[in-house]
Amino acid sequence: MKRHMLQFRALLSQSIQAEWASAERWLSPLLFALTMLLLFSFAFGRVEPAFIPQLFVAATFLTAFFALQIAFSRVLEPDMQDRVFDQLRSYPIAPTAWFLSKYLLVLMIGLMILLPTLVLADVFINETTISFLSLPLFVIATSSLIALGALGVLLSTMMLRSNARQILYPLLYFPLTTPVLLAAVESSKALLIEHHSLGHLLSSWLGLLVISGIMYFTLSLLLFGELVKPE
Amino acid sequence: MLKIHNLEFRYQFRRILQGVSFAAEAGEIVHIIGPNGAGKTTLMTILAGLRREHAGRIEYESKPGQVADDRRDFIEYLPAEANALYGKMDAMTNLRFWQSLRGLKSTDEALVNELELWDLDHPLIRQNFPVERYSTGMKRRLALARVKLSETPCWLLDEPLYGLDTKGIQTFQAMLQGHLQKGGQAWIVSHDTAPLSIFKLRTLDLGGKKS
Repeated sequence: MKRHMLQFRALLSQSIQAEWASAERWLSPLLFALTMLLLFSFAFGRVEPAFIPQLFVAATFLTAFFALQIAFSRVLEPDMQDRVFDQLRSYPIAPTAWFLSKYLLVLMIGLMILLPTLVLADVFINETTISFLSLPLFVIATSSLIALGALGVLLSTMMLRSNARQILYPLLYFPLTTPVLLAAVESSKALLIEHHSLGHLLSSWLGLLVISGIMYFTLSLLLFGELVKPE
Repeated sequence: MLKIHNLEFRYQFRRILQGVSFAAEAGEIVHIIGPNGAGKTTLMTILAGLRREHAGRIEYESKPGQVADDRRDFIEYLPAEANALYGKMDAMTNLRFWQSLRGLKSTDEALVNELELWDLDHPLIRQNFPVERYSTGMKRRLALARVKLSETPCWLLDEPLYGLDTKGIQTFQAMLQGHLQKGGQAWIVSHDTAPLSIFKLRTLDLGGKKS
């Protein structure tokens, strides 16, 4: 157990250092988000106040989804170079420690992209005087991140083993993330337009979001070990 | 130590390895030979745990009569056409990382001493200098330093001499000598046989006909 903990820490700190050394990998999704939200803002111009929450939800989740997709698809890039991934597989690493380190990294990168996206969307899209940013909205966004992050690690690892990775990643990622996105959008709409409480949301769309998160996390954790086994 | 029993490996419909059996004892070097396509690198990747054999058995005896649950605890692999180094990281960070995955932790002084053996100890290149800017030979030397620091008793070295200069080859020979004296073993694939001629080698010939 102690050894697995050491491996987890080593893998996580190495992954963070590798991400930091290649700032372009997390900077481009952030700049993409900024550009998208600016475009939305200019394209829609002045909007009827009643439609602003809907526009905010659509623009924010669309932007965040694509920005995260760009970031997640590249999260294992440092391991792909110089056959590092194969070397890791030849080491006695516990798959759980390996998966959790990558998952935590994905969550960190995800938050680094998601939080500025929410703030920027509130600045660019929300023309009302009342801010949309609230704890329940962060809960919804983070719940979707938990599910998307688990899928991100699983699919990125799967793609490392595949010859058709550039095609397979979007083909698998988009359909699998649809229920998560639907639940996130519906929850946000219910929160911002219908002003439902977090407790009420949990029994409806947010509940689905949380279940998707638990399901994808468990599935990814179990399948990751299979993906790093000998071919 | 490492034992192979009647190993078979197929790729698509071609049989790459068939009926390969071999056992190496402590202090031995196994020189794997055969023409291009004979399956030398394939055998190395199977032994390293990257590919699964289709038939046969591989065992690692950590003590006489005691087969290890996970042979990767005892084996360090050096691939042929790569060094498995993080290009954006410096030499010290790379060595520290791979050591920590095996639950080992050397002092900075020990790492510098190891780098000194490989002529990589200059302060300007050992820290805050990304490995991706190293020359081919420097990367290979760093990868060999990692092999030594793994403290594993069994080394799988696929073309370890690639890119090494005369001094690098001498350091490699000394490293291998020390490893064998400590009871380690090495399985080596190398087309450059001259530097290995100073050792007593056991040969595993994969040159047989395949179907």
